[in-house]
Amino acid sequence: MKLPEFNRTLRQLVTLPIVLLVLMAGFLAWQIAAATRAQRALDHSDQVTAQLQELLSLFIDQETGLRGFQLTSDPVMLDPWNAAAGPIQLHFANLHELLAGDGAQLRSLDDLEVRYNQWLGFANAVLNQDAASLKAAGMNQRGKAMMDGLRTATATMLQHEEALRAERSHHARWLQGRELVSLLLSAVVVGIFLALFTRHHVHAISVSYLRRIAEITERSDALSESQQWFQTTLESIGDAVIACNNRGGVTFMNAVSEKLTGWPLEEARGKSLERVFHIINEQTRERVENPVEKVRRLKQVVGLANHTILIARDGREYVIADSAAPIMSGADKMAGVVLVFRDVTEERRVQTALVASEKLAVAGRLAASIAHEIHNPLDSVANLHFLLQQEDDPAKRAEYLRLAQQELGRTMQISRTMLSLYREPKAPIQIDLRELIEGVLLLLDRRLQHQGIRVETHIAAELAVEGFPAELRQVFTNLIINAIEAAGPRGRVRIGMEHAESGELHGAGAIIEVTDSGPGIAPEAAKRLFQPFFTTKGADGTGLGLWVSMGIVQKHGGSIIVIESPDRELPGACIRVYLPARTLAQRMGQPAA
Amino acid sequence: MSSPTILCIDDEVPGLQIRKAVLERAGYQVLTAADGPTGLTLFRGNAIDGVVLDYYMPEMDGGAVAETMRRERPDVPILLLSAYINLPTEVVRMVDVTLLKGEGPMELLEKLRVMLRPASESTKSAVGGSA
Repeated sequence: MKLPEFNRTLRQLVTLPIVLLVLMAGFLAWQIAAATRAQRALDHSDQVTAQLQELLSLFIDQETGLRGFQLTSDPVMLDPWNAAAGPIQLHFANLHELLAGDGAQLRSLDDLEVRYNQWLGFANAVLNQDAASLKAAGMNQRGKAMMDGLRTATATMLQHEEALRAERSHHARWLQGRELVSLLLSAVVVGIFLALFTRHHVHAISVSYLRRIAEITERSDALSESQQWFQTTLESIGDAVIACNNRGGVTFMNAVSEKLTGWPLEEARGKSLERVFHIINEQTRERVENPVEKVRRLKQVVGLANHTILIARDGREYVIADSAAPIMSGADKMAGVVLVFRDVTEERRVQTALVASEKLAVAGRLAASIAHEIHNPLDSVANLHFLLQQEDDPAKRAEYLRLAQQELGRTMQISRTMLSLYREPKAPIQIDLRELIEGVLLLLDRRLQHQGIRVETHIAAELAVEGFPAELRQVFTNLIINAIEAAGPRGRVRIGMEHAESGELHGAGAIIEVTDSGPGIAPEAAKRLFQPFFTTKGADGTGLGLWVSMGIVQKHGGSIIVIESPDRELPGACIRVYLPARTLAQRMGQPAA
Repeated sequence: MSSPTILCIDDEVPGLQIRKAVLERAGYQVLTAADGPTGLTLFRGNAIDGVVLDYYMPEMDGGAVAETMRRERPDVPILLLSAYINLPTEVVRMVDVTLLKGEGPMELLEKLRVMLRPASESTKSAVGGSA
């Protein structure tokens, strides 16, 4: 049952009984009015009877007075006569008034009044004559007859009124009976109707209510089951999960997050996320922005900054990878934030080991060039030493020594360049990119010459970035060796370097592009190029070079991508590296070393 | 008997000149070339008794030069110099002697002397095996 239907039913349940009771009350009022009218008619008959009886009594009083006077001639005897005269007129007037609506009785009354007046005329005549004359004239007989007629007329009227009263009394009783029956019947009918009507509607409401309760119970069970399911799922997954409300108070933690943060849920509940989830930047060791704030600002899933360290309650540190997402309760309403993170400390250790192994691999790739570069001058120095031993001419000896010095210088240069691949300052330093790339090219020079590869460098201006030189050397060694291998003998490699203006996507810095004349990278390979262990070189490649390079570039706050070669003459692969002038760590306030 | 003529081929010009001085002091006549094609021209135009050839050279490496020489004049012995430890096997088989750069002039002169010795004095394989 829908709410409007329910309201309508309720209205009907209240309104209908009221209407029925009002109707019933009206009906009863009509009945009562009829009974009252019947009672009034009875009263009327009683009044008429009383008036007539009094009138008859007054007639008798006058006659009695008249007879007494006739016998005694004593005027005292006329007192009843005189006393009755006034009331008789009054009663006649009253009866006229009472019988106004009853034609037959009114006519009888008129007749009675006529008879009385005749008797009165007779009586007055009697009063003016003596007794003897009365006897002689037979007046007494006449008077008696007149009075008898008067009495008879009154009695007739009385009888008529009695009959009328009996009829009215019968009617009144009938009305009373009808009233009672009507009351009972209407009460029973209305009662039954109301009972059926109420039962019907209450039943409908009750069914609907029960159905709704069943639905709510079912929904509640489903909800509870779903909640249980989610709870179990969240408890079971290997990642740590923390949920908080939109004020940043912790509302849920699974077992993994309890273990990593060192906070049991009971204690953490309601506490601010910052207190429980204490994260810092791995490099600067400064506090990282509260993810709840960040999500609230952006209203979307945010991956937290790389190199985040979680400091547990007991001070233990975990390298974590994490993301935070908003919990939306409506189109635009954020109910909270859920954080998902995992301990990547072990992963990071493996990654570090892989990076170190890749460093060795780079050294391996350079080994041939380095061996050549070192053995050539060494060979010359050994030969010069032999010549010096045998030469007496000072000028020639000086020349040999100069040549030996020159060759040793070359060895030193190669050795320094090689060492710079590994020796690393602790903090980022200012690096001249041109010098760095030329150093890499020097190491590869013999190889380039041997394969007849032409390297063109287009360096726009003095370009300096902050960073770790050995790491960046590793990146460019990788990129240039890849280009050399892709270009093949007598191929071409172009190294372009230009200043990058500060823009929407990145700050000021340098863009370096390494393009080769090779066959290019297949789109399928391009997608996986920066994944670890992906190689296009079969057993000759470790599949770590570009992955490590990307890690290094990202650590510097830069980016590395494969783009379509902008040079038509070099249709091969083009790798673009962006390096910011100031590294992330520097920007975050670490003092320059 | 006049001193043997050695053809030295190496793209490392300072090293080549120094090696030439060493060989001349040891009594050889030395012709030099800074790349493979020039070396082959000299090889064809002169009476060469032995070749000291660098392996790692741009454009045309020592292997390719040795192969041509072997094809044209298989009797001329070749000493292959290299900064590499691991040279391709087919290249090693093609030459008489190999020598790692940096082993020193005494080693070079000794190997060259053995290599140029008439076949009757020793077998070729005995010398070649020292590489």
